[in-house]
Amino acid sequence: MAVAEAGSQPALRRRRLRVDLTTPTLLGLPLAWLGVFFVVPIAIVAAYSFNVYSLFPGPHGFTLRAWHDFLHSSVYLALFWKSVKMSLTVSAIIVLLAYPLAYYLALSGTKRKYVLLLLLIAPFLTSYLLRVLAWKVILGNQGVVNTFLFWTGLRSPDHPISQLLYSRFAVMLVLGYIWLPFVALPIFVSLENLDRRLLEAASDLGASRLQAFWRVTLPLSLPGVVAAFLFVFIPTLGEFVTPSLVGGANGYMYGNQIVDLFGTGFPDWETGSVLAIFLLGIVAILTVVFARFLQPRQVVAD
Amino acid sequence: MDNHEEIEQRLSRDKLLRLAVAAGGATILGARLDAAQAALAGLGAESGRLQVLDWAGYGNDGGQAMFAAYVKAHPKNKPQFSYMANESDALAKIHAGAKPDVFRPYVGWVKYFATSGLVQPWNPNLIPNFKHLNPFMVKAGQYKGKQYGIPNDWGFDAILYRSDKVTPKARSWGLLFDDRYKGKIAWFDDLEMLTIAGLYLGFDKPWRQTDAQLKKSQELLMKKKKLVRLIWSSETNLWEAFGSGDLWIAYAWPNDWVQMKKKKLKVVYMRPREKPIAWVGMFMLLKGTPRSRLAHAYVNAWSSARSGKWLEDNYGYGHANTLARPASSDLLKALRLTDPRAVTEPSAHLDRDIPRRALYARMWEEVKASG
Repeated sequence: MAVAEAGSQPALRRRRLRVDLTTPTLLGLPLAWLGVFFVVPIAIVAAYSFNVYSLFPGPHGFTLRAWHDFLHSSVYLALFWKSVKMSLTVSAIIVLLAYPLAYYLALSGTKRKYVLLLLLIAPFLTSYLLRVLAWKVILGNQGVVNTFLFWTGLRSPDHPISQLLYSRFAVMLVLGYIWLPFVALPIFVSLENLDRRLLEAASDLGASRLQAFWRVTLPLSLPGVVAAFLFVFIPTLGEFVTPSLVGGANGYMYGNQIVDLFGTGFPDWETGSVLAIFLLGIVAILTVVFARFLQPRQVVAD
Repeated sequence: MDNHEEIEQRLSRDKLLRLAVAAGGATILGARLDAAQAALAGLGAESGRLQVLDWAGYGNDGGQAMFAAYVKAHPKNKPQFSYMANESDALAKIHAGAKPDVFRPYVGWVKYFATSGLVQPWNPNLIPNFKHLNPFMVKAGQYKGKQYGIPNDWGFDAILYRSDKVTPKARSWGLLFDDRYKGKIAWFDDLEMLTIAGLYLGFDKPWRQTDAQLKKSQELLMKKKKLVRLIWSSETNLWEAFGSGDLWIAYAWPNDWVQMKKKKLKVVYMRPREKPIAWVGMFMLLKGTPRSRLAHAYVNAWSSARSGKWLEDNYGYGHANTLARPASSDLLKALRLTDPRAVTEPSAHLDRDIPRRALYARMWEEVKASG
């Protein structure tokens, strides 16, 4: 017995050792990856924003000057607010558009739902840039939309609808098109995982289809809706490629300003870093707020 | 091993032949040893590929014809390119550790770079084509008598407009701020718009505006930005929007006029009464470059009349070599290539240093962010 016990202790220690090493081994690489390629770069950008680092040689040191200027600049804050409004509009509209689509795919019982889903995400097989550029062909003065209007006689060729391209509208339209599949997928997944027995129970208890949707389906799919909303809102808030291609002077966004401060005119990494860190901070706060108040279990509990 | 043996081992036969030429044949014939050593140091020590930081279209992405002579003469030291989006980008790259032997800012940056400690002057004697370069541009490339910039590509900033759609009130930069053409105007994405606003407002030194003047220029641009459809940064973007009728008026370069004429549009390239601005690309040599002579040879290739003609015919820019002539008579006329003085007073403002460039840049960024 004593021999058996003595023999089992090293085995137990080995097992404990294995258990103890499993977590750090599994988490170590991704954490190191995040640390090196996410946390450290952000820390460096933050250091630039406080002038701890500077692109130019010479005396420099910690200062809040750029932060002070930014927070007292009506121009930059107004631009940020303009971008927030554009992103919110895009996100809200495409969530509303994507929900019925995802609902149909997930709950209609069609056998072809995965084929349809594949069709939905098919545009991802082409490059982002091409998809944006294609809209220039559609929206320009001599584009598909205006040519059609000329053909129908609704507009004269001398008076095309010129605000279709190089405008805020163009940016929001193209962003909506680009991000629609990202919105549809999380909603689809949340609806797909819905326990159908709950709908049957609602029906058994006398709920109409609309009531069942309103009281059961929608609340249970809200986590997917929130995730979808964030999937769009966060990247579009910092978007700069689409506005630079189809936005013109009026569709200029906060992300464009960050890029330009780093590279156009005269490099101003200090102000550019302030704008970048501010954006990151706002996005982080919004994410935490959404995650805190709209967790799945809370929705279910309601 | 003494110095001579070391040098001999490093030299191949073709290098020796080039050495003979470089030293005027005098070395091998027994002329002064130090002259030979200087030439040896120049050719023997310079190895590796020439590092060039240039604009898109000027490297192996379409510009090969303009440095073909260099590649032919230096097959083992072919240029290796990286690209700059603008001077600010080049400056950031160099400060971040890039070591291009040669790069190309424009004339307004000559003083900035010359005083930055990042570049060294060229030796024009090592550039045989130097003597054919436009003397006004050559002078603009100098700082304190030293040649920091070798002029090359150039053009005018002026106004392009559709004569069938637009009736200017005057030959003025004011056409870019004309309320009658809201949504049909394009500006250029550069702090130079503040200079243009200053010219329009009649300031005597638009490149050195006082705080009050700068504020007025910025206010004008912010107020008029609502008229602007596009703030362009690439010519193809401008051509596409102007060619499709989205734009009627644009800040533009001579080649843009030529391109729009090719599209059969009725266009005028207007020289404003406040005068156009001439820009000139200036090759610069990085301080302490280990390939100085190769860099000189590269710039010499770019400076030939043959390269100049190719540039004019294919890219539509002017070339500093006064012997270069484009096939297009329109371009010849727009660039006034027969008159070297056309780039400077009294015909035009040759672009120049902006002492408070960082402030101008910040104010221009605010214009773009506004509205």
